[in-house]
Amino acid sequence: MTATPIFRAEGIQKAFPGVLALKGVDISLHPGSIHALLGENGAGKSTLIKVITGVHAPTAGKMYLDGAETGFASPRDAIAKGIGVVHQERNLFPRFSVAENIFLEQLADSWVRPVDYARLNREARPWLESLELDIDPATPVSELSVARMQLVEIAKALSLKSRVLLLDEPTASLTSSETDRLFTILRRLRDDGTSLVFVSHKLEEVQEICDRVTVLRDGENACDSRPMQGVDRNDLVQMMIGRAESGGAWRHRDTEAQPEVLGLTGVATALGHRDIDLTVRKGEIVGLYGLIGVGRTELAKCIMGQFAVTGGELRVDGSAVRIGSVAEAIHRHGIGYISEDRKGEGLILQHTVLENAGVPIWRKLARAFGSLSDRRVEGVVTPFLRKLEVKTPSLAQTAGNLSGGNQQKISVAKWLAAGVSLLIVDEPSVGIDIKTKAYLHDLLRELADNGTAILLISSDMPEMIALADRIAVMDGYRIRGEVANTGVYRDISRRIMDLIHGESAARAG
Amino acid sequence: MSAQDLVPASAGPLSPTGGGLSRTRFFLSNEFGLILLIAAFVAVFAFTTRGFLSPFNLFSLGRNSAVNIMIGLSMMTVIVTGGLNLAVGAIGVCAAMVCGWMIEVLALPWPLAVLGGLALGAALGFVNGWMVVRTGLHSFIITLATMSIFFGAMIFLTRAESFRAMPEVFSAFGKMKLATYLSPLLLVTLACALLLAWLYRFTVTGREMLAAGANPAAAELSGINVNRAVILCHVLSGVLAGLAALMLVTRNGAAIPSMAGQLGQDWLLPAFLGPVLGGTLLKGGKVSVLGTVLGAFLVTMLTSGLLMLQVGAFWVQTFLGLMLLVAVLLDKARRSYLARRNLA
Ligand SMILES: Nc1ncnc2c1ncn2[C@@H]1O[C@H](COP(=O)(O)OP(=O)(O)O)[C@@H](O)[C@H]1O
Ligand SMILES: [Mg+2]
Repeated sequence: MTATPIFRAEGIQKAFPGVLALKGVDISLHPGSIHALLGENGAGKSTLIKVITGVHAPTAGKMYLDGAETGFASPRDAIAKGIGVVHQERNLFPRFSVAENIFLEQLADSWVRPVDYARLNREARPWLESLELDIDPATPVSELSVARMQLVEIAKALSLKSRVLLLDEPTASLTSSETDRLFTILRRLRDDGTSLVFVSHKLEEVQEICDRVTVLRDGENACDSRPMQGVDRNDLVQMMIGRAESGGAWRHRDTEAQPEVLGLTGVATALGHRDIDLTVRKGEIVGLYGLIGVGRTELAKCIMGQFAVTGGELRVDGSAVRIGSVAEAIHRHGIGYISEDRKGEGLILQHTVLENAGVPIWRKLARAFGSLSDRRVEGVVTPFLRKLEVKTPSLAQTAGNLSGGNQQKISVAKWLAAGVSLLIVDEPSVGIDIKTKAYLHDLLRELADNGTAILLISSDMPEMIALADRIAVMDGYRIRGEVANTGVYRDISRRIMDLIHGESAARAG
Repeated sequence: MSAQDLVPASAGPLSPTGGGLSRTRFFLSNEFGLILLIAAFVAVFAFTTRGFLSPFNLFSLGRNSAVNIMIGLSMMTVIVTGGLNLAVGAIGVCAAMVCGWMIEVLALPWPLAVLGGLALGAALGFVNGWMVVRTGLHSFIITLATMSIFFGAMIFLTRAESFRAMPEVFSAFGKMKLATYLSPLLLVTLACALLLAWLYRFTVTGREMLAAGANPAAAELSGINVNRAVILCHVLSGVLAGLAALMLVTRNGAAIPSMAGQLGQDWLLPAFLGPVLGGTLLKGGKVSVLGTVLGAFLVTMLTSGLLMLQVGAFWVQTFLGLMLLVAVLLDKARRSYLARRNLA
C-alpha cells in the first residue's frame, strides 16, 4: 500500500442553518484501499461525502487531490476530477431506462446527434453483468425493486471509472448474496488501484472488506484515518457511540392466552397471495421472514386495505372485517404500517418534521370545523420524538434535510403517537446505526409488553431472532410454515432456511 | 434522556420554528420580493402617470385586483395537488350565467341565485376532481376537455345571450366605495384569502390537501383519503371561480357569456401569474396564500399602470406573458441559490 494519500481533506466544516454538521473533519484516502467511514446516524458521514463530491460547498477547510489543493464547483466538476459517488439517497430518473440512467452524464455530449440507443444498451450491459444484474438495459427504472435500483446506481458509478469512489450505505437494501457480489467488485477495483470509501452500519461487512477506517461522532473525528489492523468491533462501537454496545437480547414472552388482534384464515389477495394463515395476538411480536420480493410488503398492504383481499377471512379483534381503504384500517381498526420505503411512502420529505409526525392523528386531534393548531399536534408527538432521540434543529425543519436514521425515527414516532393496537413494521432497521437499532428493538419489545400486537417484516435474520415470539416464513406469496422462536440463532436460522429451501426444492422437483 | 441528547448543542430546544432563521427566510422569500416590487412600481407609476394614486384609480385598482386575486386563488387550490385547472374561466362563466338565469328566468331572489351560481361552480369542480381521480389522468387533460364542454354547453343553453336584468343590489355593490376609494369586493376577496390561509394552516382538511399533493403514496399510507382530498381541492376551485365571476357580474351589471373571453381563456394568465409569482410550488404540496394575493395584486397594478402610460393593451398581454416566464426563471435561480446555501 502506498503511503501518500490520493485525496486528503483537512478541517472540513459544514454549517447548515441551526446545525453545524461538520466541525473540522480530517480524512485521507489512499489508492488501492477500501476505507470505512463510520459513525452513527447524523454523525455527518453523508455530509462529508457530499462535500468531497461537490454537492455542498464546505464552510471552511481544505481539500487536496494528489497533493495539490483543490475544490469542486459542482458534482460534475468532481466527476471530471475523477471522484465518483453513490449517494445514500436514490438519484435515478424513474421514467428513464436503466441504460439512460447509467450514461446520463455522457448522454448530452452533443445535442444535435440523436442518442444511439442500441449502442447505449450494449454499453450498459457489461456494467450490469459485472454486478450479475440480470435486467434488460431498456427497462424503465421505475419498474425495478429498491434493491435493484441500488445496484443500477452502483453500476452507474462504476461506469464513470473514477479514481476515488465513495459509496454511502450501498448495501442498506441489498440481500447478502447481492452484497457478496458487490464486494467482489470492490475488491477488484481496489486491486486495480482505486481508492474506495465505504459507509455501512453493518460492522461485519466493514470488517470483512475495509482496510482503513475513519470514525465520525457528532461532526468530529472520533478517530483519524488509520489502518483497520488492531481495531476490533468493540473499539469501533466505542468510538462511534462513545460507550460499549448495549441492547437487550431475546426473551421469552407469554402471550398464549392473549386474545387475537389480527387473524387471517385462507386469505387470498388481488396481488396473488394464496391460503395465507396468520394470527397475531395482543402483546405478541410475530415475525414474517422471507427474502426480498416474496410478497411480505404486499401482504401488509392488503391487510391495510390498499389492495383487495379476494378470499378467505380477515379478522380484527375476533370479528371478520372487510377493509376498504387505508384510512379505514388506521382510523377504524387501529392498524398502522411503517413502510420499508420511508422516502417514497413513509414520509413527506418536503414537509416539516412536525407535519410528518402528526399525519395519522390529525383527525383525532381536530376540534370544531376540523380546526387544528400546531401546538396541539406538538403536544402529542414531542414526547415520542424525544423518546426516539430524533436529532433535529427544530420541529419546523424539513424532513428531507435530516439524516436517514433520523427520518426513520420520525416514521416510527408517527405511529407510536397514533397509538394503534396492531403495528406492521416493515424492515425497520434498514440504514439505521447500531445504537438506534438496539434502541428500536427495545422500543418494539416495550410496545408489545404494553399490549400492542406487532407484525414484524424483516430480511435481517439476527433482528428477527432477537425480536419475534413466532416466525412465519413466506416464499412465493404463500406461508411456508411457522417456527416458534427460542432465541437460539443457529437452530432457528437453520429451521427457517429449511422451510424456504425445502419448499422451493419440493416445488422444483 | 435530556433535551441535550435530542438536538445538537448549536440549536435551540425542539421549538416550533427556528427563530432567527425564519426571519432570514422571510427576507429571501417570494412574499418579501413581491412587496418590494409592488412598492417600487407604486413609486414609478406615481411619478410617471397622472392620477395613479387618485381615489378613482385606487378604487378601480382594488376592484380589478379583487377579481384577479380570486382567479389566482381558484387556480392555487388545484395547484396544491400538483395539478392545474384550465377550466377556471369556463366554470366561472357558467356559474355567473346560472345566477343570471335564476334571477331573470326563474325570478328567484338574488341571494338564492348567488348560492345557485356557487353551487354550480362547486358541482363543475366536483366533476373535474372526480374524473381526475377516477381516470388517473393528469388534470391538465381533464380540465382542457371540460373547459370546452362546460363552455360549449353554456353557450348552447344560453344561446350566447346575456342576462342584463340584474337587480339593483348587484351593480350598487360593484359601484360602492368605502372611504371614497375602497371597493368592498376587495374585502370579500381578502376575507376568502384569510379563510384559505386558515384552511391550509389550521385545519385537518387543508393539511390533508397539502400532504396529498406532496406525496400521495405516503399520504395514503398515513390514513389520508387522497382521492377525497383531490376532489375537494377541485370543488373549492370551482366555488372560487364562481365567486370571481359573480364579482365581474357586479362590476358589469350583467352576466355576459363572453366576460372571460372565448372558452374562459382570458382568465388563464392571471390564474397562473398569481400563484406562480407568489411561490406556490407547481409540483404541489406547498402553498402561499399571501404570495398569491400579492402576485395577483402586482399583476393588476402593472396592467393598470401600463395602460395609464398609454401602452397598447396587446403589449400589456405580451408584457404579462414575459413576466410569467421571468418569474419562473427568477424563482428557479432563487431556489438553487437557497439550496446551495442550504437555506431551503
Ligand atoms: N441539507 C441539510 N440541511 C440541514 N441540515 C442537514 C442537511 N443535511 C444534513 N443535515 C444535518 O447534518 C447532520 C449530519 O447528517 P448526515 O451527514 O446525513 O449524517 P450521517 O450520514 O452520518 O447519518 C444531521 O444533523 C443532519 O440533520
Ligand atoms: Mg447518511
